[in-house]
Amino acid sequence: MPAARITADNTDMHWLDSALDQLARGPVCGYEREATPATEPTALSALALITNFRSNSARPAIDWLARVQSADGSVGIRAGESPGWPTSLAVLAWRAANSKEYGGQIERAAAWILQAHGKTMPRVPEFGHNSEIPGWSYADETSCWLEPTALAVFALKSIGHAQHSRTRDGVRLLIDRLLESGGCNYGNTAVLGQTLRPHIQPTGLALLALASESDPPGRLAKSVAWLRQSIGEETPSASLAWALLGLRMHAVQLPDSDRWLSAAYERTSKSGNSLHKLALLALAAKGWPR
Amino acid sequence: MTSDMRQPKFNRRTWLIGGGLTAAALVGAGIVRQWFRDKASVFVAKNQRYDASLVATIRDGLASCGFVPESVRGKRVLLKPNMVEPTRACPHMTTHPAIIVAAAEVFRGWGAIVTVGEGPGHVRDTELALVESGVAGALDTTKLPFADLNYQDVAWRENAGRASKLAGIYFPQAVAQADLIVSLPKMKTHHWVGVTAAMKNLYGTIPGIKYGWPKNVLHHSGIPETVFDINASLPKTIAIVDGIDCMEGDGPIMGTMKPMGLVVMGANPTAVDATVCRLMDVDPWKVPYLKLAADRLGPLDDWLIEQRGEAWRPLVSPFKVLDKPHLMRMVRHRGVLVS
Repeated sequence: MPAARITADNTDMHWLDSALDQLARGPVCGYEREATPATEPTALSALALITNFRSNSARPAIDWLARVQSADGSVGIRAGESPGWPTSLAVLAWRAANSKEYGGQIERAAAWILQAHGKTMPRVPEFGHNSEIPGWSYADETSCWLEPTALAVFALKSIGHAQHSRTRDGVRLLIDRLLESGGCNYGNTAVLGQTLRPHIQPTGLALLALASESDPPGRLAKSVAWLRQSIGEETPSASLAWALLGLRMHAVQLPDSDRWLSAAYERTSKSGNSLHKLALLALAAKGWPR
Repeated sequence: MTSDMRQPKFNRRTWLIGGGLTAAALVGAGIVRQWFRDKASVFVAKNQRYDASLVATIRDGLASCGFVPESVRGKRVLLKPNMVEPTRACPHMTTHPAIIVAAAEVFRGWGAIVTVGEGPGHVRDTELALVESGVAGALDTTKLPFADLNYQDVAWRENAGRASKLAGIYFPQAVAQADLIVSLPKMKTHHWVGVTAAMKNLYGTIPGIKYGWPKNVLHHSGIPETVFDINASLPKTIAIVDGIDCMEGDGPIMGTMKPMGLVVMGANPTAVDATVCRLMDVDPWKVPYLKLAADRLGPLDDWLIEQRGEAWRPLVSPFKVLDKPHLMRMVRHRGVLVS
């Protein structure tokens, strides 16, 4: 077992080595231990290993993603299983591993992402958001939602499509979905005149995708502020990890974050040790691979 | 039981083709239709509290509705609470952990293998939903296993309802393999379909990983139609409704708390929901998914529901609904706007 690492605030980072060891032993993973391998946790596992300088250990996960890619370029939720919303995560993993070696996979996946559309509809007074902006959905023939759009925008930006019209539409959609007082949820701002509540995970994902973007009305800055004050030692693993990843993209590093991640790791270890959560925590500890 | 209503013990078609036609001609089609309609029992308990004897209430209530404890011995029972979008700021949005714990104790006491399962509709981070709803602590204390219905492996089942265009429905393994599903909803208004209780709660048996967050495939296929289809396609289902601290107004997420002190239960979720509507002073026949379910999944008419425990009429307390045309038609009988 590697020696424990100590961070600037003296937090014991032994948990990170332990998490990475577990990921390295089985990088192709499902949402829970013993579950069927799934694209999202496997891509996150690869990303966590790569950003923590264990690229060799990530290889089986990267190759698994390539094997399960469909002929149309999409990567479904599990091998042979639609819908293809996790395709963006596969792109991010391949790009982090070796964008040249996996260039073919990335190209096909990007083509699929660029042709995939969530449904739009004329604006109606029942909803506060602009339903005419095209983005991405979870499933075919359904509406655009925040997290798949954030993942698609982030993936497209990472492979040089930051100025593509689809990416720009996606950015517009994400900004449109930010609440007036900051933060966002699954993708509705107000329904039947009632403003809805913000949630941590989607706000973190939106901030990840909205790095380097501006929002003159200030909702982006308010979202950073809201997210910053909404997380802490008790925040559950996935929400905490996405929040820290999003905040980091906006140059916000919280001094207590290592301690919070360590606490989340402890809780995850006691409750089934989900590799999906371990991957997110390990990814958040180091930040998104460059 | 719900499944009993879907699988009649005799062949009605044969009866109709044979001597039944003669009989129908004699007594009239209306009477025959009524003869076919099944009755169901619904139990209402009043003066209930989360810190009191809910175990006894549930045990007695189910028994008085004809539930046979021996039927679940050694069987897989899935408790399905409502945790659509939990936040500590709004505990009346979600099923109280005390109801889950009490139901688990009852079914464990009857020898069942009990699991709690939910696929929160608006939250991808299920751990967050468990923590915010207080259910995580309850699961820890009671050592109850939890099935994350949003991410589990799935099984395809033919759509037995066919009210929507969906040919089939993917259910998580914990749902597909359950011998009995116990819907444990919160008694709430719903800003699209009027009321959410036992039947609508079962949207949470559908995996988000396939259908999205929210489960938008269902919305695009019609909410009333897919509520009906899911209920028609699930394994055997019963209901225990948390009607203690309820939600009125802009439910199911943003409404205000309405204390009722009730627990409502029965072996037929349609009948339970009809009674819940009456307690809320909502016309069950105006709730679109209940109208679809009427006499197909269970009865709506009061005379077809055998009331156990408390009578519902003295307990009626009108729930505020939003002043929207699609909702006002459900409370038109009140004669006044209430929001």
